[in-house]
Amino acid sequence: MIETLAESIFVRPWPFWAGGIVIGLLVPLLYYFYNTALGVSTGYGNLVKIIFRTHRLKWIQSHFTDTWSWRVFFIAGMILGGFLANSLAGNPGTTAEMGQFTAALNWPALLTALYFFAGGILLGLGARMAGGCTSGHGIHGIANLHLSSIFATAFFLIGGVIAANLVRILLLGGGG
Amino acid sequence: MMGKKMGFLGFGTLFGFTLSRVGASEFDLIFNLFVGRDLKLAWVILTAIIVGFIGMQVLQLRGKTTRSGQPLKISHKKLGRWSLLGAALFGIGWGMAGACPGTVLAQLGEGKIFGFFTFIGMIYGTYIYALLKEKRPDL
Repeated sequence: MIETLAESIFVRPWPFWAGGIVIGLLVPLLYYFYNTALGVSTGYGNLVKIIFRTHRLKWIQSHFTDTWSWRVFFIAGMILGGFLANSLAGNPGTTAEMGQFTAALNWPALLTALYFFAGGILLGLGARMAGGCTSGHGIHGIANLHLSSIFATAFFLIGGVIAANLVRILLLGGGG
Repeated sequence: MMGKKMGFLGFGTLFGFTLSRVGASEFDLIFNLFVGRDLKLAWVILTAIIVGFIGMQVLQLRGKTTRSGQPLKISHKKLGRWSLLGAALFGIGWGMAGACPGTVLAQLGEGKIFGFFTFIGMIYGTYIYALLKEKRPDL
């Protein structure tokens, strides 16, 4: 009984509702404890301040006065959470697989790395222009019924559908 | 305010653990949503929105205050002139990389090597935004 419960939590993939409930609860819990909105992408500004020379960049200097803010700790926690989930499930510590992308394409590693780097650039730039990401707009904003977040999330999805279908047709051979 | 930082380390760990366990850190779960093969991720997000909405209503009914009795300050993001273009660019990156700013962190913890390049790209993309903002303050 206890073994099956532990297996359901740590080994078998969670059903959608289990993930949805935990993620959804973060929205009120972060307000209840810290009066803070759930959001991840703003913290990448903190990482920019840590990594690059930014003393001349007004946006960084005015928005990220506390370099090592809670956002950096939230990001660190999320990396740790992925590590724990992966280790406790008994999976290998590193992998060069990226699902059907690396399964179907025999690209040199450098080209694959550049592809994911390019996707990351669009994510980072786009999130700041949009004012949030999947968690800040998609979950926190819509849970608070903010129209701006509903529009932003609709455009996230439109971009995703276009890009993934182009990848499917142009790179992965177009199969259904 | 070390308590707050440790709290966010804990909540972040729970968030990353959950994203990984539900499969949101898998390239395929995101890609399959966008090509219409598997809608699991949409159900995860929809459940999270509904649970988050109910939880916020409970906080409102409790008297709109936090645990320490402060009035709730709900963050409300407004759309600017470039927001929807940015949202579409974000979506293209989401569909390309099969990751978003949150799930890529879980990928890093799982040791997904190409997720590391998505992550570095996101930091670079944010840096590019900071550079562009110098020239275009309305961005």
